[in-house]
Amino acid sequence: MSPTSEISFTLNGVHRRATVGLEMSALQMLRDVIGLTGTKYGCGEGECGACTISVDGKPVNACLLFALDCDGRDITTVEGLAGDARAQALAKAFVDHGAVQCGFCTPGMMVQATHLLATTPHPDAAAAQRAIEGNLCRCTGYRKIVDAIVAAGETR
Amino acid sequence: MSAVPESFQRYLAPTRLEQALAALAERAGGGGATVLAGGTDLMPQLHAGRVPAARTLLSIRRIPGLDGVAVEGGAVRIGALTTIATLLTDPLVREHAPLLAEAADHFASDQIRNAATLGGNICNASPAGDMLPPLLALDAEVELASLAPAGGVTTRRLPLDGYFTGPGRTQRGAHELLTAVHIGLPPGPRRARFYKAGTRPALDISTIAIAFAAGVGEGGRLRDVRLALGAVAPTPMRARRTEALLEGRVLDAALAAQAAACAADEAKPIDDVRATAWYRKQLVLNMTRRVLDDVAHQ
Amino acid sequence: MSDATTTRPAAEGSLIGQRITKLDAPEKASGRTRYIHDMQLPGQLHAAILRSARVHARIVRIDTAAARALPGVHAVITAADLPNQRPIGVAKDHLPLKGDRVRSLRDEIAAVAADSEAVALAALRLIKVEYEDLPVVADAEAAAAPGAPLVHPPIAGAAAGAPVALTGRADNIAMRFDYGHGDVAQGEAESDVVVEDTFELHYVTHCCMGVSGVIAEFDARGNLVLYSNTQVPFLHKREFAEVLGMDPGRIRIVQPPIGGGFGSKLDIYPFEVICVQLARVTGRPVRLMFSREEEFLASPTRQPVRLTLRSGCRRDGTLTFRSVHTLHDNGAYTSWGATTPFVMMQTFSSLYRVPHCDYHTVAVYTNNPYAGSFRGYGNLQATFAVEAHMDRMAEAVGMDALQFRLLNAQQAGEVTGQGMVFRSCGFAECLRTAAERSDFVRKRAQYAAERDQPGPIKRGIGIASMLHVGGGAKIYPSDGCGTILKLDDFGHVTLITGASEIGQGSETVLAQLVCEELGLPISAVSVVNNDTDITPWDVGVHASRTTFIAGNSAIGAARKARDKILAAAAAAHDCPAESLALRGGRIVRAESGEPLVDLARFLRGLHFNERAELVVTSFYYEPPSVHQDKGYKGDVSAAYAWAAQVVEVEVDTDTGVVRMVNVTAAHDVGRVLNRLGIEGQIEGGIVMGQGYALTENLVVEGGRIRNPNFRDYKLVTAPEIPAMDISFIESLDGEGPQGAKGVGEAPAICIAAATANAIQNATGKRITTLPFTPERVYRALHDALPAPRPTPRVPS
Repeated sequence: MSPTSEISFTLNGVHRRATVGLEMSALQMLRDVIGLTGTKYGCGEGECGACTISVDGKPVNACLLFALDCDGRDITTVEGLAGDARAQALAKAFVDHGAVQCGFCTPGMMVQATHLLATTPHPDAAAAQRAIEGNLCRCTGYRKIVDAIVAAGETR
Repeated sequence: MSAVPESFQRYLAPTRLEQALAALAERAGGGGATVLAGGTDLMPQLHAGRVPAARTLLSIRRIPGLDGVAVEGGAVRIGALTTIATLLTDPLVREHAPLLAEAADHFASDQIRNAATLGGNICNASPAGDMLPPLLALDAEVELASLAPAGGVTTRRLPLDGYFTGPGRTQRGAHELLTAVHIGLPPGPRRARFYKAGTRPALDISTIAIAFAAGVGEGGRLRDVRLALGAVAPTPMRARRTEALLEGRVLDAALAAQAAACAADEAKPIDDVRATAWYRKQLVLNMTRRVLDDVAHQ
Repeated sequence: MSDATTTRPAAEGSLIGQRITKLDAPEKASGRTRYIHDMQLPGQLHAAILRSARVHARIVRIDTAAARALPGVHAVITAADLPNQRPIGVAKDHLPLKGDRVRSLRDEIAAVAADSEAVALAALRLIKVEYEDLPVVADAEAAAAPGAPLVHPPIAGAAAGAPVALTGRADNIAMRFDYGHGDVAQGEAESDVVVEDTFELHYVTHCCMGVSGVIAEFDARGNLVLYSNTQVPFLHKREFAEVLGMDPGRIRIVQPPIGGGFGSKLDIYPFEVICVQLARVTGRPVRLMFSREEEFLASPTRQPVRLTLRSGCRRDGTLTFRSVHTLHDNGAYTSWGATTPFVMMQTFSSLYRVPHCDYHTVAVYTNNPYAGSFRGYGNLQATFAVEAHMDRMAEAVGMDALQFRLLNAQQAGEVTGQGMVFRSCGFAECLRTAAERSDFVRKRAQYAAERDQPGPIKRGIGIASMLHVGGGAKIYPSDGCGTILKLDDFGHVTLITGASEIGQGSETVLAQLVCEELGLPISAVSVVNNDTDITPWDVGVHASRTTFIAGNSAIGAARKARDKILAAAAAAHDCPAESLALRGGRIVRAESGEPLVDLARFLRGLHFNERAELVVTSFYYEPPSVHQDKGYKGDVSAAYAWAAQVVEVEVDTDTGVVRMVNVTAAHDVGRVLNRLGIEGQIEGGIVMGQGYALTENLVVEGGRIRNPNFRDYKLVTAPEIPAMDISFIESLDGEGPQGAKGVGEAPAICIAAATANAIQNATGKRITTLPFTPERVYRALHDALPAPRPTPRVPS
């Protein structure tokens, strides 16, 4: 039986515990141990951004983070954006601007772009493009995702 | 998702440097420790089966004094745990070592910049490590800590120049922890430029990287010229003959072309899935010239 | 049978041409959508596949004892456990589990079902395989030569008429295609200009963001439920039944939301059959999900093509002939990559007016990965060649690139040498629009003149066009689609359609078309489209057919419902049905708009008072296209679509980096239905084309994929996209739903061709191999890029 440890951390605003394997990634913990499937597996190597989550206020790839390293930290996944006004405005912009096609990259985009808007309230298209350079999309060609982010910035 | 054969038997996240150093020094029970900082290199290597088995996964993120940027003793001290994202925005870095901020802007993605650390990039010692040519061009020194024989912690400093001994290998002893990087404050006005080849602003493993820094003296003569190249040799390298060629001279188009040819000759790239050696040399030739032309007009 | 769909300009209050938000977008933006990877079935086991460690080898022995003994392992299967395996794939040359030999690195040797993914992967590591290496054929030309090692050698004692997987073959020739119209010898004799080039089109792969996966479950009665992201559920049902030896009526396919398709899910793959076999053996639901590396290694690619094109024209600029020879690397097993010639020959025969054409493809078995269908399906490769020659010939006769194309562009009413009938045709308008909006003619001359000026950055602009089916494609026995409409007591409509949603927005546009007929808001419709037990038949999402075919089917059903309602309302109000209409959720007088009754209330009346048939209707639509004859001739689609794209680039001659600055696209779409959706399709297709042209390259050497990851297989990222100017040409197709034609593949098809022409304009260099990576372009600039050798002819 491989070694496990119990960690405690805040997840989407709620303090909780989880038992995780030593080499488990935060992505595996979220999806397989805790059962939150909004955060996606795209590559497991930090190249696609589908697993983007926010840790202590900064977006990172959950696939590169050790689950054990979540101990004591404040983590927000796409599910946790439901109560965030900025994220909800962004979600509405995503819908209105056609930024969602298959939707697989969308959770990662939402977390990444919500963070951008928190630090840069009115990004232009170039800033939005740089901000999501680590989020791959195969369907949309990014144009409408960028439009949605800029539009969400303009409305606040 | 790919799973990995388990190798580690325990995880430690000490809150004191001595505890971490003790784990590194441990030999009993088939010991040894693998250091975990940001994890952005370690996790993919683990999945690829490229991490040598060690007993302990040693997280150093809770150790005080390992992050932070400060000016002390005529140098900028950058803690090993300083993230690449911090290098991009920290006012002291932007003021005293802007070449690092410039390189940080080309590093991976925002998500990775938020987790990857400067210490990690140095210890990973990839021939294509993004931060390494700028650090070489800035005459950086690394600070290594270990347990003192009489107890407590002892540190030593090594110049980054010569620190890399091969792909993925450095002069750091297995019992040592890299705790900080020191970059001396330049004595006078400095010109510096960073170039990374690729089609994207970031998210690329370097095909080649060029970092140039030099002081400017009387009459516009270059002083303390440093030209570091990445991804064109087994380790990041200084192009010493090229530096000598430029030292004390005033940059003009002819000198820039001459220096570029010299740098291309000094580079020793290989063929790999990203590019051929021939093309890498061509890039060194053309882009060294462009970097120097830029510097001449700065 | 078709209900001729008349086109009319959009009336006030019409939904046609509006920006309709995607029905599933809010759920997807919340992260609540459960894709196949997110599904958890009670009692499920996790499967993993052991793939070959050799490119080409005999399997001497497989030892699974240690794997079977590992705690948590429920089953380990190899070919030995499935003695009556039936082959999959169009050429029936592909057994899911390989027993006697492996022919490529992705070959499946064994499979495990276990309590967890970790245990399954640990079990794989315990399986020992002994191989005896065989010589590798990694090059199609070498594989076609006499005496080459055979990939499917003859099997002694095979029954006559048995599939290739059980008989083997005497050579490495997988397929041949030979087409001709007119007489190319005569065409060449009439030519004043003849150009010839060899083009090499590379391996790329779909890179859907959601990796492949499948879940198989046998219920208590032995019926199979397959959770699959297939794009062709009804074809799948039939094929799985054949492969598994089951009654197709006992197979149900349920399609969870998909993480991208692009044509990757149009064939049956070994992993799916293997998963079903594990479910059979264990009696439990079994789930199998790829890792990203496995996705790169084991998914089909786009068909790589080596192609020699010889083209001619008269000095007045009119085209005379095209003669094409291609060599297709078929890989170890045959999938839809080998059949791309069906589309390629359409481009060579019919993109621009060509009186004489011949086309020959030989697909050759090798030990390389096999290719499948991928958005555009051979058209990217063919257009790349055709449009290079349009530029070359234009220059040779001293005509500008736009004029040369306009001279040869067909118009409405023309029939091509291959028998394609161009009814609605916006070809010339596409060319003119794209050229005008991009200032193409002036910039092209300017950039050519600036070529020799100092400075490393060179600008260039290039144009290319494309032709693709836009009204279905009659390649299967039927090209139809069924629709059922259910109206409830509250005016809510359930649209049950055989057409799948693969992220492209089909369910939204179908809902839009129904709401347009019934005068209801989009919020009044739910769509059911993902369960073969419920939905009527549709051949599948391919060939850009869904809006056209499923759209006409949905409109037909909606009109049937509308006619029923208005007939009942006319009787109730003692007036002719033609004097009534459905608008704004009500039955109204058509001319004055005076409301008579709320639609929902009227439906309740029909239900409870009249005991009338509650409005449940069905409509089956088959377009008026025909199957091709044995010479590949025939009007295979009910409509055809064109596009012209102008690409402007900056080439850094110090590095070879090509920056795609902007793309000006003009697409003949018949009619814009959902403006938001169609823009999204075109923008996404353009960027996919950009990747094909500039950055994506699956490096295959000696049968090995050297870059099976996103680090070294480069998808386009957000900062790299060009500015995009998109125009829609509404040629109002008489057969199309509201006049619309298909557009799913079009935007990806001619980007690379236009980029090649732009690079030529910028640098004077014509590069005939893809992708235009910095190193390739740099080499071309320094004449260090060898030209490809002409495609060899392979005698039959």
